[in-house]
Amino acid sequence: MNPLAPLYRAIEWMPVLAQDITVLVVLVMPALIVGALVLVGFRPFPLVRAMLWRFRWTNALFVLLIAVSVGLGVGLIAQERGLRQGTARAADPFDLVISAPGSEITMMFAAVYLQPSDVPLLSGEIYDEVANAPDVTLAAPIAFGDSYVSSPVVGSTAQFVTHLSPDLAEGAMFADRLEAVIGSRVDLALGDSFTPAHGVGDAAEHDAHAHVEYVVSGRMQPTGSPWDRAIIVPVEAVWEIHGLANGHAPENADQLGPPFDPDYFPGTPAILVSAEQLYVNYALRAQFTTDRTMAFFPGTVLANLYSLMGDVRQVMSIMAVVTQILVTAGVLAGLVILTRLFARRLALLRALGAPGRFVFSVVWSYAATLIFSGAVLGVAIGYGAAALISRVVSAQTDILVTATLSWPEFHLVGAFVSLTVILALVPAFIALSRPVVTDLRS
Amino acid sequence: MSLDLKIDDLEVRAASGRVLLSVPRLSVAAGMCLGVKGPSGAGKSTFLFSLAGLGANSSGAIAWGGTDLMVLSPEARAKFRRHHIGMVFQDFLLFEELSAAANAALPGAYSRRARQAVIARKAGDVLDRLGIAHGGRTVESFSGGERQRVAIARALAADPEIVLADEPTASLDRKTADRLIEDLVRMVREEGKTLIAVSHDPAVYTRMDRVIEIVDGAIVSDEVRDG
Repeated sequence: MNPLAPLYRAIEWMPVLAQDITVLVVLVMPALIVGALVLVGFRPFPLVRAMLWRFRWTNALFVLLIAVSVGLGVGLIAQERGLRQGTARAADPFDLVISAPGSEITMMFAAVYLQPSDVPLLSGEIYDEVANAPDVTLAAPIAFGDSYVSSPVVGSTAQFVTHLSPDLAEGAMFADRLEAVIGSRVDLALGDSFTPAHGVGDAAEHDAHAHVEYVVSGRMQPTGSPWDRAIIVPVEAVWEIHGLANGHAPENADQLGPPFDPDYFPGTPAILVSAEQLYVNYALRAQFTTDRTMAFFPGTVLANLYSLMGDVRQVMSIMAVVTQILVTAGVLAGLVILTRLFARRLALLRALGAPGRFVFSVVWSYAATLIFSGAVLGVAIGYGAAALISRVVSAQTDILVTATLSWPEFHLVGAFVSLTVILALVPAFIALSRPVVTDLRS
Repeated sequence: MSLDLKIDDLEVRAASGRVLLSVPRLSVAAGMCLGVKGPSGAGKSTFLFSLAGLGANSSGAIAWGGTDLMVLSPEARAKFRRHHIGMVFQDFLLFEELSAAANAALPGAYSRRARQAVIARKAGDVLDRLGIAHGGRTVESFSGGERQRVAIARALAADPEIVLADEPTASLDRKTADRLIEDLVRMVREEGKTLIAVSHDPAVYTRMDRVIEIVDGAIVSDEVRDG
């Protein structure tokens, strides 16, 4: 459970931005109040500056340690959200997917994220039933299984290409069996030709379709999904090069795209269905959830997956909190040790008659400066780490993950600063309890 | 304000219970320069810190002008030091990263706003009189003699009636030490302050009005000097 949930509930009448700002203010308020109480009437900053400069490398190392710990927390939160948003964005064009009964997750990974999987095919009758259902605006077969280098070669229709990328970045839609439209990140140019392999990855048979040569006719706009790495060809071509009927009766043998003739429809692993109205999608899902077909919303499957992963996230959150507590304890111990470096100077102040509160404010301000500097640097490190990891994840999965800083990260940092700055009172108290004469003579 | 010193039955013990210092009775008139000599470990510094209200495990009475430090709380003792006592240490104890002026005006950092300007002005004035012309420079680059002059300026900046000096010349060469003690004594005399200086250095206590000698925690001689 989010510990901030009760606070959010109490202020849910506010606009969202105001809620986030209010939560941040509430989180840092204890630190601000403590700071005001400690500093009222004193200006310890020249001495704090001197203390910071005196052991600047030790202080810098301490700031860096705080920054790395804060950065890890910030980076993890930003990365997790970025990954969630990226996967959701990738699934966005896939309103409703119909396939043979099986695992929704397996089929979602295969059809949406183009992760190879052997799945049963849907028959032409089923496709025809789907395509002719009322209010269906798009029923696109998705026939995967071939590849070129690291790009999956997927058979579908021109309507499907337009659904993914309403405007092509360059070139034109395929108008011939052996033309292909490529994703934005496919390393081919317009006019290039290539021969697909049967299968994907290490198991691909590179000579299985040696007689086939596709020519690139167009390139899609970036979609931020694995489809940016995909090559889409007419589904008729995929069927034909596998020695199957091409979906059309002999008198229409040259036709590309729907309507398909059920008698000449070899089968498809999945059908992407889209309708103008949301309720139609729900009706279609109900209609095609049968013993022969499985209909699912990838968005819902993702949400269920996130929900399942939510437990893991909760465990990770608890671990993150425990880590932050350990880091805080480390910060506290470090501050006590650092304060001992200045024991003689603090003893001098007390010998000269400085009020205990002034000495207290010097130690606390010094600690608070280190903590605040570390937290600010940590935000920068977290942002940089998240951006770097996002690039790696995007490159590995082809899902565009954009990790940007948002309010949860600032709330985490605010809570960390508030907690540690309050705990910094402890080394300040410890500094005051040290024997003056002993420290003066040390 | 005249702050004569009166000590009655002062006893300072170590944590083990051993007596470190025992002064049954001692009086020092305000405005006097008192030297404290004796061998190392005799209890001279313990005596000096006790006079500032910094002694632990102490009993008896240490009264400055009727204010008995022994009955005050630690915070009240600090307040007394803040207003009435300036201290000079053997190894200067300056903030190396601050300028001479900032070091000299250090008491202003924890004083009321109204006093801060007064203290800064006085600190600058004392630095001038001690020949520190480059008060804006950090003391890192200063010689030992210059550093101790800055420390003296710090001790005098809040215009205390009492100056306590612990081996003020011990870290200096002979020539610098002579000049420094000359300047210190001159300035406290000009301003009518009480100076109590613990030192091994004969050049210090030959300039004092009175010299006491502490051996094994007890005053074994008390000499009032002529002139």
